[in-house]
Amino acid sequence: MGVIRFQRVWRESLFTRLDFRAKLLIVAVISLVAFVWESPITLAALALTVIIAALLSGIEAAYLGRIFRLMMPLYGLLLVTHGFWNTQQVRVLTGRETLTPLFTFPSAWPLVGGGGMSVEGFVYGWAVILRTIVLILVLPLAIFTTDINQIMVGLVRIGIPYKLVFIFSSTLRFFPLLFGEAQAIIEAQRLRGLEPQRMGPLQRVRVYARIAIPLILGALVKAQQLEAVLQARAFTGSSARTYLHESRLRRVDWGVILLGLGLFVTAMALYVWLGVGKFAWLIFPSAPTPVPHR
Amino acid sequence: MSQEILGAERKVKAVGGVAIDGAPVAYLIALAAAVAALSFIPFSVILAAGGSFPLSQGIYALVGWILGPVAGGIACGIGRLIGVFVAPHTAGPVPLASVWGAAIASFAAGAMSTAREEGAPRRDWWWIPLSVFFVMEWLLFVGRAVLVNGVSVQVALLNTFVNWSAILLYVLPTRTLIARLIGSRNIAALAAGLFLGTWMIAGLSHLSVTVILYYILNWPPEVWATLIPIIPMENLFRSLVGTVIGTGVIAGLRATELVRPRSALY
Amino acid sequence: MEPPEPLVQFEAVSYLYPRATRPALRNISLDIRRGEFVGLIGATGAGKTTLCLTLNGIVPQFYGGRFFGRITVAGMDTLEHPTGMLARYVGMVFQDPETQLIANSVEDEVAFALENLQVPREEIRARITYVLQAVRLDGYERKHPSELSGGQKQRLAIAAALAMRPALLVLDEPTSQLDPVGEQEVFAVADELNRELGVTVLMASHAAERLAEYATRLILLSAGSLVAVGSPDEIYPQIELLERHHLRPPQVARTFYLINKAGHPTGRLPVRLEDGLRALDSLCAQCTLTPPSIPPEPQGADGPALVSARDLKYTYPDGTRALNGVSLDIRAGEYVVIIGQNGAGKTTLIKHFLRLLEPTEGKVLIGGRDTREFTVGELARRVGYVGQNPDHQIFNASVKDEVSFALRHLGYPAAEIRARTSASLEALGLLDMQDMHPLALTRGDRARVVLAAVLALQPEVIILDEPTTGQDYRGAKSILDITRELHRQGKTVIVVTHHLYLMPEYARRVLVMGKGTLLLDAPLRQAYHQLDVLGATFLEPPQAVLLSRYLERYSAGELRLLTPEEVAACFIPGGVERGSHQIPESVA
Repeated sequence: MGVIRFQRVWRESLFTRLDFRAKLLIVAVISLVAFVWESPITLAALALTVIIAALLSGIEAAYLGRIFRLMMPLYGLLLVTHGFWNTQQVRVLTGRETLTPLFTFPSAWPLVGGGGMSVEGFVYGWAVILRTIVLILVLPLAIFTTDINQIMVGLVRIGIPYKLVFIFSSTLRFFPLLFGEAQAIIEAQRLRGLEPQRMGPLQRVRVYARIAIPLILGALVKAQQLEAVLQARAFTGSSARTYLHESRLRRVDWGVILLGLGLFVTAMALYVWLGVGKFAWLIFPSAPTPVPHR
Repeated sequence: MSQEILGAERKVKAVGGVAIDGAPVAYLIALAAAVAALSFIPFSVILAAGGSFPLSQGIYALVGWILGPVAGGIACGIGRLIGVFVAPHTAGPVPLASVWGAAIASFAAGAMSTAREEGAPRRDWWWIPLSVFFVMEWLLFVGRAVLVNGVSVQVALLNTFVNWSAILLYVLPTRTLIARLIGSRNIAALAAGLFLGTWMIAGLSHLSVTVILYYILNWPPEVWATLIPIIPMENLFRSLVGTVIGTGVIAGLRATELVRPRSALY
Repeated sequence: MEPPEPLVQFEAVSYLYPRATRPALRNISLDIRRGEFVGLIGATGAGKTTLCLTLNGIVPQFYGGRFFGRITVAGMDTLEHPTGMLARYVGMVFQDPETQLIANSVEDEVAFALENLQVPREEIRARITYVLQAVRLDGYERKHPSELSGGQKQRLAIAAALAMRPALLVLDEPTSQLDPVGEQEVFAVADELNRELGVTVLMASHAAERLAEYATRLILLSAGSLVAVGSPDEIYPQIELLERHHLRPPQVARTFYLINKAGHPTGRLPVRLEDGLRALDSLCAQCTLTPPSIPPEPQGADGPALVSARDLKYTYPDGTRALNGVSLDIRAGEYVVIIGQNGAGKTTLIKHFLRLLEPTEGKVLIGGRDTREFTVGELARRVGYVGQNPDHQIFNASVKDEVSFALRHLGYPAAEIRARTSASLEALGLLDMQDMHPLALTRGDRARVVLAAVLALQPEVIILDEPTTGQDYRGAKSILDITRELHRQGKTVIVVTHHLYLMPEYARRVLVMGKGTLLLDAPLRQAYHQLDVLGATFLEPPQAVLLSRYLERYSAGELRLLTPEEVAACFIPGGVERGSHQIPESVA
């Protein structure tokens, strides 16, 4: 089993050169906008931008592929449920009384007969999917392109207490160790002839859940040793300390920050005044007057 | 061995290292790392639609009972945050929501502490604002379902059984009863306390996450009905997992000489 | 010239942990002077770690408890100065290489303490360069700790301590988790720092041969009390004293102790190998060598092969080739030891016996059947495994439950569970601990609990992965004594270890691994004398073997001696009787 770590992108790009604080602001802006927008068109544009940015920054396509594969069942479920049953909400959003059927089951069919998907619900499902894609991918874009030490200094500069930042970075350091131990513990159970996968659910709880016990107790014993290490290294938890690594906002960082803020204001203004990014925008024009949803 | 101690006794100022709310920082790191590591280890509930949940969900409450509300919330939040990055597939559609769910679970669990030890801050009122908060979340959740999306009241109640039963357990004196059970030396009482406590905390955490997801994903009324049997079943297994792990860990902690965090419930 | 002021002074120091009834340290009075390299020796539980932790105030400032007497370090009372301030004067290096590296790169590890002490950035940079050179890790600045070997990790921990320019460097069993290469690296670095940079060193260790080499003074602790202080030349010759306190002397010292006892006064007992070789010269000039009759090699078990590998190759998913065509047969009833440096493929090999890994090429057979055909349960009933860390293998809140854990979940009838559990508990002497929590036991006892749990499944083969790592001499012997008993009962035993000096009493056959291949498969007596093969995988034979080789100058043919007893027997007409073969087990 390999060591699990944050995927770290080493390819030099604008993303790696930006200060972490600038990146965080961009993450916040994109997340907020994705949260507000309901239009599959604007969300698709945003998702595409994030995906392209991720690929340009050097995040492996395989990583993105893995996420998509894992999310596939959820996406399928979203499409089906919204397509079939999301009627009330899309009526409100589009301002239409009747929805456009995408297809309808023949009424002779048992159970589902007469039911069917609506175009509006189906499209809404897509909008939700695109939104989750944006929310899932935007953080790795910022984190994976930043050295952990830059993240730490950046977080301290934003005003997060060093103590918390230290806990974050140390957890990052120690969790692969514990993950390795978890594997060893699972192996130890197996070597006693126990196969939780083959047990009934209740017995599985009684056997399999136990792997967390030595893991947690071992972690706490390590913690006591770690405490001694921290004291021996003059750790005080105070933010009054020096840093080997620098975090400086350069002109390009300020530019990105201003750009981010500007885009956010623009997007919100367009949304409120012109309906850009509302669900019905461009695709369901028959809506007489957009009913405000939020 | 009966040799006399010769030196004069000194006054020991036990400063206890760098701490957050009485819990040594190293303990937070260790438990955060445990949460992150357990994020990778799925516990599958073989049911029709129920998939699996990471084992880490079984220990959020326990971490709160060991570290107290503030330190527990931070440890679980950070641990889950790292789990989210390294194992994005376990994070659900809105990764930060699961981080929030971990943190609030541990916080609410830690806030059950009725410890009156010297130096420990009084916490016996923290449950009140928390309860108000959870009730509001529930109203937001069920309110949107019933008023905006046309879910029937009956379905909404059945669907949120796990959530409102958790709120009731938290609001009523059952909360202190559970805290006492977890402090008990009797293994059966301890197990009962851990089971009820995990049910309660997992139910509150589920509510806190679901309300956010609902406002983002907005699933249709029909889904509400189909989830009615699944949610309690998952919570049941979460509680069983929490009980098994909790009894083992607390028995182990009591058997060792590890320095006990100030707000610990065990 | 007036002796300089001692760097550290203990004045009647006693300490009790919270809730403890017995002091962990009792009436310690002691000086450590600048420039010394002090070795701290004592069995597990003697108080070595506690003593180390008093030096920067962690005991009692973090742990609490009751403290008596007074310790000063560079004139500062350790109770009146915060640990953060004491940290500037006392650098600490601990046992576990993993938990003491907290940063995500080598340079940040070194910088961490300096950042805490608010040292300016330029100064930090300068010190990183300096200390990484001092521990020979320059060029590794950007590496992640997980990319370092065990010895490199400990050297990094030393660098991190050194960066604060401490007057005293305290190392608490820094090599007990390392292989011999790592151990050698750490001792060499500590020695250099001491001699070239004048850093005062206090090192707790069980590595007697190395301490004899490097330490200028030894402190012997037992049950929290100071038993003896003196140079290695004064302490290590006191074999009876050491044995009384469950310590192992260097083999050279023990050899000459036995020779002396047999009536050949050799003057002061040598404690270092080169002194021993010189002493052999003068001894051989005085008396004739009567090589003991070596009992014939015990016939290897000749039954059918129980564990076999056939041209076994394994490549890890990341592309590392870990096994490169290993073929071997282990027969029922054998006792085999597998040795080799870290990364030689030992663990990968035994993971195949346990089917934790499946061959990339070739196959592994248990009782003639391909392991791939076994279910997990079937295999566990034939091959038992005790891993290096017992705490990864304990899942239950009482010893008894732990031993019966697997039986209960594998559907055995209640009567059989009871019978097997109590038989297993009895075999390992755990009956009177059966209701205790395993974590309330010592590490050695916990290892026995795991062994009992494995034995309850009555496997034919028992594999122990580094059972002696992290154990003191008594703990290691007590586990190995159990393996000998199991071997007598007909079990097949496979042990992986770095501790070559422990094994002659137990194992019959040695597999030497190096770079993923089987370098040598031979009877132990033969294998230990293949110095070139051992050297190829960075192993050093026990000192007795080296003494034996040296003695061959004075004898007609090959001697092939393995233990101090056998070497000493060369000078004792009639030889040493078999009974005294082992160091007497004192009251355990």
